[in-house]
Amino acid sequence: MKNLARRVVFSLATFIALAIVSFVGVDALPGDGCTALLGRFGTNAKIEACRQENNLNDSVVVRLKDWSGDLVSGDLGYSIKRDEQVSKIIMPRLRNTAVMAAVAALIAFPSAIVVGLLLGRYPRKRISKAVNQFSVIAMTLPEFVIATVLWLVLSIWIPIFPGVSVMPSNATVLQLLPNVWLPALTLAVVIFAHSMRTMRASVTNVQNMPFVESARLRGTNERKMIKRHIVPAALPPVVNVVALDGAWLLTGTFVTEAAFNFQGLGRLAIDAISDRDTALILPIILFGLAVYLVSSILADSLVRVFDPRLRSSNR
Amino acid sequence: MRTLLRFNFLKSRALIFGVLGFHAFVALLAPYLRLSSTDSQDSAALLQGPSLNHWLGTDSLGRDAFSRLLHGGRPSLVIAFAATAISCLIGIVIGSLAALAGGWIDDALSRVIDFMLALPTLILLLLISSFFGQDPFILSVALGLMYASPIARVARSATQTLLARDFIRVARLQGGSRISILFGEVLPNVWRVMFTEVAMQFTWILLAFSSLSFLGLGASPPTPEWGLMIAESRSYMTLNPLLVISPIMMLASLVLAIQALVDHE
Repeated sequence: MKNLARRVVFSLATFIALAIVSFVGVDALPGDGCTALLGRFGTNAKIEACRQENNLNDSVVVRLKDWSGDLVSGDLGYSIKRDEQVSKIIMPRLRNTAVMAAVAALIAFPSAIVVGLLLGRYPRKRISKAVNQFSVIAMTLPEFVIATVLWLVLSIWIPIFPGVSVMPSNATVLQLLPNVWLPALTLAVVIFAHSMRTMRASVTNVQNMPFVESARLRGTNERKMIKRHIVPAALPPVVNVVALDGAWLLTGTFVTEAAFNFQGLGRLAIDAISDRDTALILPIILFGLAVYLVSSILADSLVRVFDPRLRSSNR
Repeated sequence: MRTLLRFNFLKSRALIFGVLGFHAFVALLAPYLRLSSTDSQDSAALLQGPSLNHWLGTDSLGRDAFSRLLHGGRPSLVIAFAATAISCLIGIVIGSLAALAGGWIDDALSRVIDFMLALPTLILLLLISSFFGQDPFILSVALGLMYASPIARVARSATQTLLARDFIRVARLQGGSRISILFGEVLPNVWRVMFTEVAMQFTWILLAFSSLSFLGLGASPPTPEWGLMIAESRSYMTLNPLLVISPIMMLASLVLAIQALVDHE
């Protein structure tokens, strides 16, 4: 418990430090909200007026203070370029990405645990070797290649799913669902390979432990052996990977979303970067940081819950 | 078919070196192969299928796809080599210095490494590329800096294992300074241990740059680059799927061969 509290405090400190670094860093980039809005047509006078109006001429320290004060009170800021509150732009996108991530997680994680268990238990079967090779390939190839191959095969050659999604960012979940499959499958392939290999390695490792041997010698049958002995002991490292991959599903989806024009947070981040809409980029970076820090704490705590050996030791 | 199924593609040494040799040959010699120009556009022959003149057909601007394919690995390979060299230089020096110095220096450097690992790499690269232009030099340096932290972490633990070995102790007892031990004893040995990590790093950087190009912020048109070519031709997949399949095959065979080589060692 004490350990957890220390981690939380430390992560909070990291978050604050990185938030300040990000603010100053983004601020130092050439261009601000006004140049983004007025573009190359903005005369110096117009840009100056716009800066006056939005208090962009204050010093970095003053603006950092205002910005962090707003952030603490739940105000994510205001995009001059898009003339809208940042939270209003981000929320529907976040929901879309969350739906996609949930579909990917539901496809990938359960199947990865089952397949990893089977591969670890029966490593000599030819199908095990084939699946293993497939997972190496899936882990090595970049998402845009997996996305393009899935699109070619599942949308053009065998037309099951729609290819590029043509939906507004505030579509209802029902409108969203047909468009979610291909991007979710792309993400699922990546995290399946990752978590499946962890499960396989963990099962292989657990199988050779003395307690499994002793259970076998007691005449435990295969089903009970897997259910009572192997799976509970093999899961902790997988839980760790699942937590970290879960974080990646929420924050690492730029390329996949761009490949299918899926209106999620990653697509928004790329648009914001191309528009140089700094007010919008910053909250997205902070969201990514927060998810990363929370998930790594979550990963370690969950491992403790699942692994009794770590629970008692008060390190 | 049965023997083909049983054949383990990722473990065949001949195949790995064959593929790597092929890529080296193509990347080095593409400009001297008397191919048709990568940039000349033929508006009378857009999106054509394979023919004798254009072995892989033409893209949406009427450019020769085969010539562009053979040239398409060069930008990413150059950047990946440069960035890997930078990340190794910084990462290995910082990592082994941290382990060698110990104490508060080690703590401080390890914090910095953790800090760097928490940064969202791709979004930063996109920012840099968008705000400072798609300059290969800037992108190599940025990639090198960002990918230095994983190298530093591995180099630190590799050095820590080394430090317990006798020859380092001997060097210390002989009165060698930390710097001379670093360059004379630690670095040459760490380098050997680090091969796997560095090779993996090389593929990650290569793929990061290709992904950037795919998003339109890596190689700038009309440069032929596989990621960019895939992005440009994806809308025309029904007309000439080879435009997308061929760069995918090139990219996939290259990174899989490197991956297989790493697993092999």
